[in-house]
Amino acid sequence: MLKRLPVLALGALLASPLAFAQDMPPSAAVCAGCHGQEGLGQPNVAPMLAGLNADYMSEQIDLFLSGKRKDPVMSSMAALVSDPATRKQVSEYFAALPAPRVAEPEQRGDRVSFDTPAEKLVYQGDWERNIPACATCHGASGVGVGDFPRLAGQQEYYLKKQLTDWKQGKRSGDPLNMMSHIAVQLSDDEIKGLAGYFSTVAAGDK
Amino acid sequence: MKIKAILSVLAISFAGAAFTAPASANELPDRQTELPAVKKQADTDYLKPRSLDTLPDNEFGDMVKLGYSLFVDSQQMRGEFVGNEQNCVNCHMQAGQKANAAPLWAAYSSYPAYRKKNDKVNSYAERIQGCFNYSMNGKPPAYDSPEIKALSAYSYWLMMSGLMDRHGMEGQPVPEVDPVNLQAGAKGADFPFPEAIAAVFPVEERSKLKGRGYPKLAQPEQTPSIARGQKVYSEYCAACHSDDGQGMKGADGRSYIPPLWGPMAYNWGAGMHRINTAAYFIYENMPLGKSVKLTKQQAWDVAAYINKHERPQDPRFEGDLEANRARYHNHQGYYGKEIEGTLLGSESYPNRTVDNP
Repeated sequence: MLKRLPVLALGALLASPLAFAQDMPPSAAVCAGCHGQEGLGQPNVAPMLAGLNADYMSEQIDLFLSGKRKDPVMSSMAALVSDPATRKQVSEYFAALPAPRVAEPEQRGDRVSFDTPAEKLVYQGDWERNIPACATCHGASGVGVGDFPRLAGQQEYYLKKQLTDWKQGKRSGDPLNMMSHIAVQLSDDEIKGLAGYFSTVAAGDK
Repeated sequence: MKIKAILSVLAISFAGAAFTAPASANELPDRQTELPAVKKQADTDYLKPRSLDTLPDNEFGDMVKLGYSLFVDSQQMRGEFVGNEQNCVNCHMQAGQKANAAPLWAAYSSYPAYRKKNDKVNSYAERIQGCFNYSMNGKPPAYDSPEIKALSAYSYWLMMSGLMDRHGMEGQPVPEVDPVNLQAGAKGADFPFPEAIAAVFPVEERSKLKGRGYPKLAQPEQTPSIARGQKVYSEYCAACHSDDGQGMKGADGRSYIPPLWGPMAYNWGAGMHRINTAAYFIYENMPLGKSVKLTKQQAWDVAAYINKHERPQDPRFEGDLEANRARYHNHQGYYGKEIEGTLLGSESYPNRTVDNP
């Protein structure tokens, strides 16, 4: 046991604060079933919650309860964490878990040429369609800013599904309709490209 | 080469060059005079700059890229030239390329410009220096600094690439311009335009490119109301700019959504503190992405609400608030006026480039 300590200490230095997840509160067990105890989610099953803003997660639970977000599983699971104290506890637990790291977060303005049209959208937007750069609100490499959720390292299937749901009017409730307004203008290829970019941009260790 | 690395290279390559900077004045010149605003026209044939990925891979191309980078991520200059949490791109959307969002290409061809107020011809570089004094609440880089040159070069390239594409010179490289002309701006009679463009773009047309500034709104039906503006703010602005107007910061400590008042906002000398300029900007460009369309009255009202808050002092202030108001603030703004029991300008935040510990 003693021998492992230095390794753990090094890990803590490299990772986000609170790399040592506090013990999972029993109320979060219901979430961990799909989102995982480390909150990383699973392909085609559940999104990553680790490192997501706690207020954002709490708002999403409201949206599931009110039906503005619909999901066969979450629409009923949300009721299990609807109590304000429980919701706060689980949101804060997952928010504090480390998400995959972006080695060098990229700011808007760092590059002028991009490998893919999706990357150009992320850092420059497309103003012919009044689409601001994603990084304006979601931050450098999409690591999230305030309640603008983290996209970096998110499950690819999930990002694709959310943009598609917004586009098709199946998800609503975002402030000022910001994302629905943007998503209806995105092509399916762009959605695929954006989901691919953000899901792989955080390839670093947690 | 990553853009941040370019600055140091350019700094070295320009270090030996000598340029005549304009004579320094004892007082800050008035470079934040009101933006010319004209009513938006139905026709949308705006100048369209080339994509930045067409920039050449040489020293000139690098200078333009640096200008773009500084413009979009102005916080690279924080503490040295920038004293608040603003980036140029906050008010000039699409990296200064968007028509009706004070595009750089239209500003660049409007300088040098004679200003009656200080009886002086101001160059484009001096105009940008003014932005550092006021909008960025900082201290301008020197006239012949790599930063001012890069921002001028970026503006020039946007204008020239757009003009070349408009006038049948697609695919031809944008000609390089010497630093003196670059800093002056394109309105000078002897600015080096390609012949085909000079013939169709005479001096008197250069300050009239469609989409310049923010489109003017008629005076509102009702006098702008701070109380109504506060409601507009809560409903449509606070989601991003926060209830307290301080915007949003990332976990990296950087500001992503800019503060609109307080110590990290534009100061009392910046154009945006004018209620009319802010109303024009907001009506045309906010909320970002325009998922909501405000009414004109809402734009006026929320502009009043935002600009009734304290912010950093007007750098021209010399100790007498009323004197400064009378001299520089005969326009739509609250500086030097008592609003809701507070004399605005009396408790302003400091002008600075380096944050207090």
